Amino acid sequence: MKFTIKVWRQKNRTDAGRMAEYAVDGITPDMSFLEMMDQLNEQLIKAGEEPVAFDHDCREGICGSCNMMINGQAHGPERGATTCQVHMRSFRDGDRLVVEPWRAAAFPVIRDLVVDRSAFDRVIQSGGFVGVNTGGTPDGNAVPIPKVDQDRAMDAAQCIGCGACVAACPNASAMLFLSAKVGHLGALPQGQPERKARVKTMVAAHDREGFGHCTNIGECEAACPKEISTEFIMQLNRDYITSALSAVVRG
Amino acid sequence: MSQAINPKGARKYVAGTRAADWAGDYLGSTLGNKVLVAVTGLSLAAFVIGHLAGNLKMFSGRESINAYAYFLKHDLGVLIWVARAGLLGAFATHVALTIRLKLKTRAARPIGYATQKSAQASVQSKFMLSTGLVILAFTIFHLAHYTFCVIHPVEVNGVLVDYSQLTHKGKHDVYSMVVYGFSTPWISAIYVATQVILFLHLTHGLTSSLHTLGLLGRRFTPVARLAAYGFAGLVLAGNLTIVFAVWGGWLTLPSDVTAL
Ligand code: HEM
Ligand code: FES
Repeated sequence: MKFTIKVWRQKNRTDAGRMAEYAVDGITPDMSFLEMMDQLNEQLIKAGEEPVAFDHDCREGICGSCNMMINGQAHGPERGATTCQVHMRSFRDGDRLVVEPWRAAAFPVIRDLVVDRSAFDRVIQSGGFVGVNTGGTPDGNAVPIPKVDQDRAMDAAQCIGCGACVAACPNASAMLFLSAKVGHLGALPQGQPERKARVKTMVAAHDREGFGHCTNIGECEAACPKEISTEFIMQLNRDYITSALSAVVRG
Repeated sequence: MSQAINPKGARKYVAGTRAADWAGDYLGSTLGNKVLVAVTGLSLAAFVIGHLAGNLKMFSGRESINAYAYFLKHDLGVLIWVARAGLLGAFATHVALTIRLKLKTRAARPIGYATQKSAQASVQSKFMLSTGLVILAFTIFHLAHYTFCVIHPVEVNGVLVDYSQLTHKGKHDVYSMVVYGFSTPWISAIYVATQVILFLHLTHGLTSSLHTLGLLGRRFTPVARLAAYGFAGLVLAGNLTIVFAVWGGWLTLPSDVTAL
């Protein structure tokens, strides 16, 4: 298969950047999108040009680093898939593919398609944890957890922090990420002690990083490679309102 | 002379945090702003449906609507001012916060995409600020037109008067005022167009506010959307019926219109 790749090139954080167009040939339908990018890069290196920088690690959809906006869709056209899980058979031979980095003030571009997602780390640091007892290892299943709560926590915990929700959101809001983290801990008994404080500090951290607000349009859940539902955003809102009301009552 | 050394200050209660901190933390965040937008939006929507119920008195006769208008203006006493202040407050909060959020959100993506495809966002959800600003402009026009009566002078018995002078049995003749208004094509056009805009604003707005307030689970989103379309459709159909009734000759100008 043959493709024309229109890709964002940017030397460093301060460079203005531009789109560049390259032709790639000899792509097979069962190559992954990243393998296609590898082939493009080999071609560039042979021609004495800088290869296109992109993040990748696991190449099996669990690390959340292979972030690319492909033809205006976060992680490309396939449902519930990261870029490394998208195969070239998802495109037609001869297609022109526009590849861009995530765009958000909170995710500055470091180079080409690589963005700095440390904003997510700081949001997690602000409250995405639970307090545990030190001492001996607790017995497994010492705390009974209803199956529905386990499932709910696991649904939220699927989040790999890739940032596709931010990338796809017209407001560059990180509400889906935030709500998955708050929702995952909030669904479990271990997360209860900090629950009311957590939602407050994590929302504040989200705002501090410069993400936008949620307008409930659902672009994020459609883009999420782990298909996390906006149900968690609604749960986040409920938790936030509960936290605010309880702060009034309890001082 | 001895003086008490009191490094911690006098014995009295000192607040760790103040109420203003609560407001700043909880209401000042993007999520807190959204909750306020949703609450004010729902209040305005409640007003809109109440306003429609009042408007429909056009169909129960001239005396009925005139008496209703008289009741609102003269018999409610201080309550009407409380209601007006609440309405103005909700409106101003809604507009100010949506503009604040929009500006923040614009700053959240300084460089846009060369191409961006949307997956499931409704069209109206992308034009909330635009449709909102049209509603704002319309509200000002509507007040100038029917409340302050400064838009459209009409000729009664050969004299040019404004709407506020129309009188029937000692009361402001609201009925004739409305018929005069909607008998004028350009005025009707403004009303019809903004009702459609309001419909679009409400279809996304009501669904969205239920999400924002966390009132319905994700699986009920289609139900919320249906309810929003139903509500917005009711407002649209109700208000337009009055305009169309004037056009169709169902509501006609009484023969004894008088101006004071
Ligand atoms: C009759 C008057 C109005 C009604 C009934 C109304 C109703 C609503 C409702 C229910 C929402 C949903 C809140 C949410 O998403 O949680 C909303 C959102 C919104 N309204 Fe209004 N509104 C009115 C007037 C206005 C005006 C005058 C503006 C002008 C700025 C405006 C701008 C917006 C915007 C931009 C949003 C979207 C906020 C967002 O998506 O984050 N609205 N409105
Ligand atoms: S490389 Fe790890 S998710 Fe794609």
